[in-house]
Amino acid sequence: MAEIYCGVMSESDASKPSEPNSRSARRRRMEIRRIKFVAGGATSDTTNEEKRQKLELHPATVSRECENAFENCASDGERSHLERDNEKLEAKGISNSNQSPVLSPSPSTTLVDLEVHPKFGVASVCGRRRDMEDAVAIHPSFCRRENETTSELHYFGVYDGHGCSHVAMKCRDRLHELVREELQGREASTEWKSAMERSFFRMDKEVISWNEDLLGASCRCELQSPECDAVGSTAVVAVVTPDKIIIANCGDSRAVLCRNGKAVPLSTDHKPDRPDELRRIEAAGGRVLYWDVARVQGFLAMSRAIGDNYLKPFVSCEPEVTITDRTADDDCLILASDGLWDVVSNDTACGVARMCLRGKAPAGTQCSTESDAGGKIADKACSDASMLLTKLALARRSTDNVSVVVIDLRRDT
Amino acid sequence: MASDESGDRGRQLCSFEKWVTLQQKDLSELLQALTQKPDSPGYDVLLSQLVEKNIQHFQDYIQQRNGLVHDDVSAFFAPTWCTSLENSLLWIAGCRPSLFIRLLYALWGSRVESQLTEFLQGMKTAGDLGVLSAKQLFMVDGLQRKTVGEEEKISSRLASLQEDIADQPIAVIAKDSTGKGEVNSDPDEALDEHGRAMRGILDEADQLRLSTLKELLSILTPFQAVDYLAATKKLHLCMHEWGRKRDHKHGDKL
Repeated sequence: MAEIYCGVMSESDASKPSEPNSRSARRRRMEIRRIKFVAGGATSDTTNEEKRQKLELHPATVSRECENAFENCASDGERSHLERDNEKLEAKGISNSNQSPVLSPSPSTTLVDLEVHPKFGVASVCGRRRDMEDAVAIHPSFCRRENETTSELHYFGVYDGHGCSHVAMKCRDRLHELVREELQGREASTEWKSAMERSFFRMDKEVISWNEDLLGASCRCELQSPECDAVGSTAVVAVVTPDKIIIANCGDSRAVLCRNGKAVPLSTDHKPDRPDELRRIEAAGGRVLYWDVARVQGFLAMSRAIGDNYLKPFVSCEPEVTITDRTADDDCLILASDGLWDVVSNDTACGVARMCLRGKAPAGTQCSTESDAGGKIADKACSDASMLLTKLALARRSTDNVSVVVIDLRRDT
Repeated sequence: MASDESGDRGRQLCSFEKWVTLQQKDLSELLQALTQKPDSPGYDVLLSQLVEKNIQHFQDYIQQRNGLVHDDVSAFFAPTWCTSLENSLLWIAGCRPSLFIRLLYALWGSRVESQLTEFLQGMKTAGDLGVLSAKQLFMVDGLQRKTVGEEEKISSRLASLQEDIADQPIAVIAKDSTGKGEVNSDPDEALDEHGRAMRGILDEADQLRLSTLKELLSILTPFQAVDYLAATKKLHLCMHEWGRKRDHKHGDKL
């Protein structure tokens, strides 16, 4: 174990912040991740503590280290690069909690700890479709703004591809990196809206240039390269800070906040017949035709997406950004693809998620009783919620892929 | 029915009829088991044995059918002993393996919905709801992706084989014929050769059906597995019966 952790440290230290996304660095990370997963069970508290201290001491390289730190506890880093990995959730929860006894002897410390370890659950299934075009990305502590040493930013994204899965996969692999670059590259006064917009535009550009140069593609549409232009993806991205929720949305996936038991939608689906979208499309010289539902130029049933170059500029990749202050009444945040929202209302989804969170981990009890069990239980509650919503969507005959992320927003006070 | 017919077709028909009868028998046994008290001693063992037995029956049928193929594999791709309804839904002489997963989703779907209200009122926990646990759902999802992939591979090979008849040598023999079926060279050799390839595909499809069912049942608890098996048999038997009625109504086959 010791060798492995040393390896991680030096890898982190050696990496220059200017090239955090280089392929080789990522590959190295993946390798380390693999080793660690095998060795995961033997993680010792001491190592974790050292790791944590290091993490606190070097804010400049914190995003890289954070990722590794999460991997060390066989936790979220592993999950983040996978579309579906819930089988390992429980195991992760256990290792994750190893840190708690060291770090959270009092509720106040726990609060900080929980900011570093957001509680979330994810479920993503193929369902009644024969192919999987949804992708999910989760990156806890993916970024920390330079002048704010305590505010960790957590990234959650749901992408629902159409035409083929590759644009959604690209978004899963890249968009959070672009968002991080945009956030870190600017001064602290960073405008969320423009940072998110720039990230989405860059993502769109990357996808299109990648389409044009199809070498290395492994998906079906490779055989039909002219149609590769007709591939795209929705993107609903949540960046959760200690006091805010930033949602950037493009397409018909959705983010819903559950506040005091009530559903508060934080994004509005981009459908071609939404009055303002219809005006935008027509002003650009496009048309909306009905074929079952409203479609841009008679093809795409959403008015914004990443990719879909053949429908530019009518289909736009500009996200709508909402910034919401977190309150003590917030229960959780749900991000999901239309496989859920087509058959489950916002209110029902919130009701289900809230019941799961409430049933499993009453706020306050976890820290006072057994702090190391706290994280695990809460995590399980979020997984239960995402899984139950997924099951409900399937039960209600959702015909699409279903992907659901539930993030616990409750303050444990 | 003409179960006493001799020759390949007669034995094939007989094998199918026996299979249908066996399914009926198995079904009543499964349903009977489901009515027993869950806390009776050895209940899970009994259910597991029942599942094993049903898998064995399916395996036996596949083996027996395989033994009857000889050089007449086409009979299984378009069986005269099945109804038009069933034949219209065949995938390589049987059901699509991915259909096993869809059936599972359908089966538990209605139960989730009916328990949702109780859950929202706090009378049930998430664990009670939805029959399948989170872990099971993930395993089923994984199985589904794998199965669809395998299915696509076999389908694609079947497509090639079906196209092959429009190519050398079969198409050329047909081209050289008089147009009334009389030919200079014997088509049988070419058709037999083609049939052997079709038989290979049938084998693979059967193996995929069997392995998918086995893996799915292994994900389920014994009770869920028995419940599920009963549903598969009901579906099969109902489709057979409904198909008969519809054929009768339309005046085909009696």
